[in-house]
Amino acid sequence: MSQEFDSEQSLIESFVRRLAAKYDRRYWLQCAKTGQPLDALWRELGKAGFLGAMAPEQYGGSGVSLTRLAILMEQLGNHGIPPLLLVVSVMGAVAIAKHGTEEQKRRYLPPLADGSERFCFAITEPDAGSNSFRIRSLARRDGDHYVLNGQKVFISGVDQSEHMLVVARTIAADSASDKREGMSLFIVDTNAPGLTAHRMDTQILMPEGQFQLFFDEVKIPRANLVGEEGKALRAMFDALNPERITAAAMGVGIGRYALSKAVEYARTRKVFNTPIGAHQGLAHPMAIAKTELEMASLMTHRAAEVFDAGGDAGMYANMAKYAAGETAAKTVDLAIQVHGGSGFMGETDVITLWPLARLMRTAPISREMILNYIGEHVLGLPRSY
Amino acid sequence: MKILVPVKRVPDPATTIRVLPDGSGIATDNVKWVINPFDEIAIEEALRIKEKQGGEVVLVAVGQQTWQEQLRTGLAMGADRAILVRSEAALDTLAIARLLAKIAEEQKPDIIILGKQAIDDDSNQVGQMLAEMLGWPQATFASKVEFQDRKCTVVREVDGGLETVAFDLPAIVTTDLRLNEPRYASLPGIMKARKKELKEIPADSLGVDLTPKLKIKKLDPPPKRQAGRKVASVEELVQVLHNEAKVI
Repeated sequence: MSQEFDSEQSLIESFVRRLAAKYDRRYWLQCAKTGQPLDALWRELGKAGFLGAMAPEQYGGSGVSLTRLAILMEQLGNHGIPPLLLVVSVMGAVAIAKHGTEEQKRRYLPPLADGSERFCFAITEPDAGSNSFRIRSLARRDGDHYVLNGQKVFISGVDQSEHMLVVARTIAADSASDKREGMSLFIVDTNAPGLTAHRMDTQILMPEGQFQLFFDEVKIPRANLVGEEGKALRAMFDALNPERITAAAMGVGIGRYALSKAVEYARTRKVFNTPIGAHQGLAHPMAIAKTELEMASLMTHRAAEVFDAGGDAGMYANMAKYAAGETAAKTVDLAIQVHGGSGFMGETDVITLWPLARLMRTAPISREMILNYIGEHVLGLPRSY
Repeated sequence: MKILVPVKRVPDPATTIRVLPDGSGIATDNVKWVINPFDEIAIEEALRIKEKQGGEVVLVAVGQQTWQEQLRTGLAMGADRAILVRSEAALDTLAIARLLAKIAEEQKPDIIILGKQAIDDDSNQVGQMLAEMLGWPQATFASKVEFQDRKCTVVREVDGGLETVAFDLPAIVTTDLRLNEPRYASLPGIMKARKKELKEIPADSLGVDLTPKLKIKKLDPPPKRQAGRKVASVEELVQVLHNEAKVI
């Protein structure tokens, strides 16, 4: 990495350090426990230009840089205050900036960049999780509108967003000659008539809840179609790589936060005569965790750089997400072990990290699907499905 | 208005400082370096003045190549350009003031704003020395700075109250804690900082006597804090405070 990159990274680091002094882990936990959005933190991120990291300058953005956004996310994670909404919001910004009409860019990017309006992303359905092509939500043309019917699940942050990007079919899967045909991307307001959202019982301690959505004859103006009708695949994948990269950054951050707690505890806690951190049974796993976190971090930066340079970031984005997901879960598990029985107490704030860290192995894409991707697209192995 | 802001690199106030075993300095491994917080306030004030009246904010630091990092931070906050006077040796306050006076003569700022002191050695001398060398008026410990044409009014924090002084530019102002709350470097600021000018000048090219007049003989860490002790009742507390601590 260049010295220039290091110096920018250290500037983002100091920004987050000061931000985290004001909006600390206690603030984050308070929001997580009461299901409140991280509004105050979000406003500061907007004011400092970070929410506009994926929007061009002429639309109120800061110039496009996923690399810097990933560093920001990682740093927020380091302090235990990562906003998941940033991961999904990025997808909205990327899809609109890359594939939106001039009108959409002017309408949606400036408020997204200053933090006054937020985006969530709705793709997953009860019968279409890892296999996105099976989605059944259908938008049919009706004059100057589309009319959307269907159902979505596990959609994060719906209650905290003004808009959502919805992936829906404009040609039903069984009528399409090719399953990749007929996928379209729409901007839908979260308060659109006919749209209902129910909070799901996901047990993950974080400020953003997951929602089940029902679209019942929801009218969408044609002007809200992003990209070409039926050809949203490109836009979708353009948005999915940044999601994986920012999620990876979040995983690295959570891992670092957990490890810093474990190290702090192991340095002072004495069971026999020496602090427990002197025992190699704990010191070595912590050293390994540190190494793996830094490897995942480098891979994440690499993925973001390739994306920023306009290259195909698929391989690196998937590998970064895999590495970060595995190491986040392993490191939090280790941090719990280091804390012994007290690791299960709310006040030590370690067990509280577990659901979120463990989620990184499952979402936004499961590690199995990542490994399938690497097997098929990177190694050239035949596919099984 | 052209504003010159001298900046010093200091250990992060949140860092735990360890004195080297021989007392010659502090251990610098694992120390995070930042802009002296009072200088950060000076940069913020300069930026606010520029935003109101237009002009240019120029940063200057005297130090090693690593000090670039702090200058870049100031550029990311919004300063226009920076000058690093390169000196590998640590200099004393007099030498620093002499170098800054040279830079001021060359840059001809309308005002120089700097921290009232650096949080590492707490010398509180450079601003005053600089005013003397340039023959400019000075207002130290500023908590409010206002302008009317070429006149500047400063509210100073003095023992037990406030003092308001007025003077003509050019002048020196040193900042106190309550002057403002410095901004963070924004993402656009960080991205623009890369393209801004950061010029390096060797300290020995300025024709200034850099011989130290001051030598740090020894640093001592503060005494270790003794563990506290629990008392059983208010009565006992009063007893102990009166008889042992003799504070009441």
